Parts: sequence; C-alpha cells; structure tokens
Amino acid sequence: MSQQQPNPQTYTTGYTTGGATTDTATIDANARTVHYKCGDCDQDVPLKRGEPIRCRNCGHRVLYKQRTNRMVQFEAR
Amino acid sequence: MAPPSAEELTRRKKLEVSPEIVSNQASTDLPGHWPGENHEWDLDYFKDNFNVQFHTHSPHDATFSLTGIDTSVSNAFRRILLAEIPTLAIEDVFIYNNTSIIQDEVLAHRLGLVPLAGSRDGLRWLKWYKKPSDDDEGSGTPSDYNTIILRLEVECKWQEGGLARAVAGETDPDKLYINHNIYARDLVWHPLGKQHDMFPAGQEIRPCNPDILLVKMRPGQKIMLSMHAVKGIGQDHAKFSPVATASYRLLPTIDILKPITSADAKKFARCFPRGVIRLDTVSAEDVANDPQLEGQEGEPKAVVDDPMKDTVSRECLRHPEFKDKVKLGRVRDHFIFKVESTGQWESDELFLESVKLLKVKCQRIKRGLDEMIR
Ligand SMILES: [Zn+2]
Repeated sequence: MSQQQPNPQTYTTGYTTGGATTDTATIDANARTVHYKCGDCDQDVPLKRGEPIRCRNCGHRVLYKQRTNRMVQFEAR
Repeated sequence: MAPPSAEELTRRKKLEVSPEIVSNQASTDLPGHWPGENHEWDLDYFKDNFNVQFHTHSPHDATFSLTGIDTSVSNAFRRILLAEIPTLAIEDVFIYNNTSIIQDEVLAHRLGLVPLAGSRDGLRWLKWYKKPSDDDEGSGTPSDYNTIILRLEVECKWQEGGLARAVAGETDPDKLYINHNIYARDLVWHPLGKQHDMFPAGQEIRPCNPDILLVKMRPGQKIMLSMHAVKGIGQDHAKFSPVATASYRLLPTIDILKPITSADAKKFARCFPRGVIRLDTVSAEDVANDPQLEGQEGEPKAVVDDPMKDTVSRECLRHPEFKDKVKLGRVRDHFIFKVESTGQWESDELFLESVKLLKVKCQRIKRGLDEMIR
C-alpha cells in the first residue's frame, strides 16, 4: 500500500535578532525588515531596527505587528 | 385458556394519553406476564407481524413506519443511526494564517461541523485514524488510507474601483469586495495516493452543502489553513453523525366514544392539526344505528380522518364539552421513523446500515456467550 504522508508541521521561523549590538539611534542596514500595519491608514510599513516608528504614508505613530505565519494546530471539536 | 380477543390485543398495546398522565406505557407481551399465554419470541410470528411502510422517501428525508416490533429494537436502530454509523469530518485544522475576525478555534470548530461526502466505496475503504496519546501509540502516521487533506486558502480584496464606490457611499459588499463570503465550496480537496482511484471524479470528497457560510471577510484579511478529515462515529463527536435527526414517534390514536356533532364537531376539528378530523354529514342510516344521533340528520359529525397527522397536543381534553367523548392514545408497536441524512448516505440506506450494525453487534454478543460457555 502506498503511504504518502501529509506533512503540515513545517513552519517558518519568526523574527531573529542578529548577534551584533548596535547603537539604537543608527539604522542598521543589515537588519531584517519587519512589516507593520499603520493604525490609521492601514498601509504596510516595512521597518528596520533603529528606524523611527512612524508611518511613511501619513505619519501616524501607532503601528501594529502582523500575525506570524507560524502554524497553529487546532482540534475541530 | 382461550386466546385473547383482537380487541383485547389492541387494548393491550395502546398507551392512554390523559390530560396529565400517560398510562399503560410498558409492554406486556413477555413470557410469564399473562397466565396461560405464550409470549416467547418467535421468528415466524415476528415475520408474520412485522411490517415496513414508507410515507415519504427522498434522499435526505425519509419517513416510514415500522409495525410489530418491540421498542427496545427500534430504539436500538435509532441510537445506532445517531451514533454508530461512520462518516467523514474534519478533525485537525492547521492554521498558517487567519487575519479574519473569527477566532482560530471558532473557525476550526465550524470547519469540523461541515458535513462531507464522497464515494461510498471509498468511505468503506478508509481505515480509522487514531490519535497517539501518552499511553497509546494510536494508528501511526496519517496516511492516504486514513486521512483526507483539504485546504482553504482565501484572501479578501477590493473589487476594481471598489474603494472609490465605498467612498461614494456604496455599502453593498457584493459591489465592493471579492471573496468577502467564504463558503464550504471553497474547501479544496488534495487527493493523496490511492485516494485518486477510490474517490473518482463525480464522487470526490466535497462538502454535501456547498453553500454553508464559513467566514465573512473584508479587504486585507486572509485565511490560509489545511485540514485533516478522518472517519469517525457520532459517539465520539456529533460532527461524525450521519443524520441531522433520526427519531421516531408512536402512531397516535383518537377514539371518539360518543358522537360529536354540529358546532361542537367544528370546534373539535379545530383542536387538531388540519387533516386529522374530517366532518361528515349525519345520514339517516347513522340515526337508525345510533339513538344518540336522534333528530340530528343532516348535521356535521366529527370523524377521525388521519391520526398520523396528529401531534397529540391534548387540546381537545381541555374543553368540558368533549369530556368522556374522546380518548387519546398511541400504538406502542407502531414507530413512525423520520431519518434526515446529512448527505453522505441516503436516508433509507442509513436505516439498512443500522440494521446491519445491530446484527453485527448481536453476532459479537453470541460469540462472547459461546466463549463463556466453553
Ligand atoms: Zn499611515
């Protein structure tokens, strides 16, 4: 009998911090960009470490972090 | 001792429904109950007396009568229908992303309740999947012979020019967004291995009702998940039950003891659902046969037309004018079954399946008894 295994248990790892400590005031060009959502205009705001927390579209200062793509398993009960 | 008369036999199997109590409920056709009568169970007697009659017969809704059978057996059929016939349902939900306003666990629960259908042979071929636990390794890894994979990957977006229309005051979601309503038909089955052959085109795994609304979304929201559907029984979870309802009621009886005529007859008919009581005209013959109808020729008279339609609301027992004129009851061995399939099986098929399962259970008991005696 053929046995094909469904494999849903793969997941991508989330945000990881680089080892180097940098001055928070300077923008780290090597850092990962994290995408946020503007709390006012709903625009996507890519930010790197050290960047000012501010929407590029409207200047709003409240940004929301997106949900991770990490898999969550539920029982349908 | 003389055998009981036919009247006596019908009286014995009639439950009496009075305003506040129901009496004569228990069966008495048991060995040793009636002196000098043999009520041992007999196959030939059962064959002669048992009867099945269909009233309505459609794939998802069947009503039929079983007569001449004991409550214990017909109740066993009902319980097997509800809890022991296997069907397919979503058991595990793997959510990669869900930015809709419906919570992950609520969405998973909703998905679990969607009735699924597929090839019957395929469903019989499917093996049970048992989850591993601390003290039981279960049935191993999910494989093509015990797990069905479904996916739901949807994203709500603005229609062409939808945003402009929304600004202009349009509020109809159908004119603004795409994918704002997610239905059961959006579940996509991903066949694995042998499932391609076992569930051929036309009999593929699909939701029985494609129009079940699962989620409502708005632009920017997204759902990405995969699901594992497994075979299970209603005993484990109601989502596996093959029926929406499977129930029976006993055939009602209405005995008019003294004639009910003229205005009373109309009032009497109104005490019952439509079609239960018919109004006939008192004929000269009726008057000749019954002295109580003296001088009432040509008046309407209440006659029982179809007691099966009665709901036994007992409304007629509330009115003093019908006191001692009517007797309500139910026939103890006449079961009016109603089986509503959820879509995997046809209703009549389900009943036969319950008979088959009861048979298997009996054989199991018999084997066990033989083992004990040995
Ligand atoms: Zn903004």
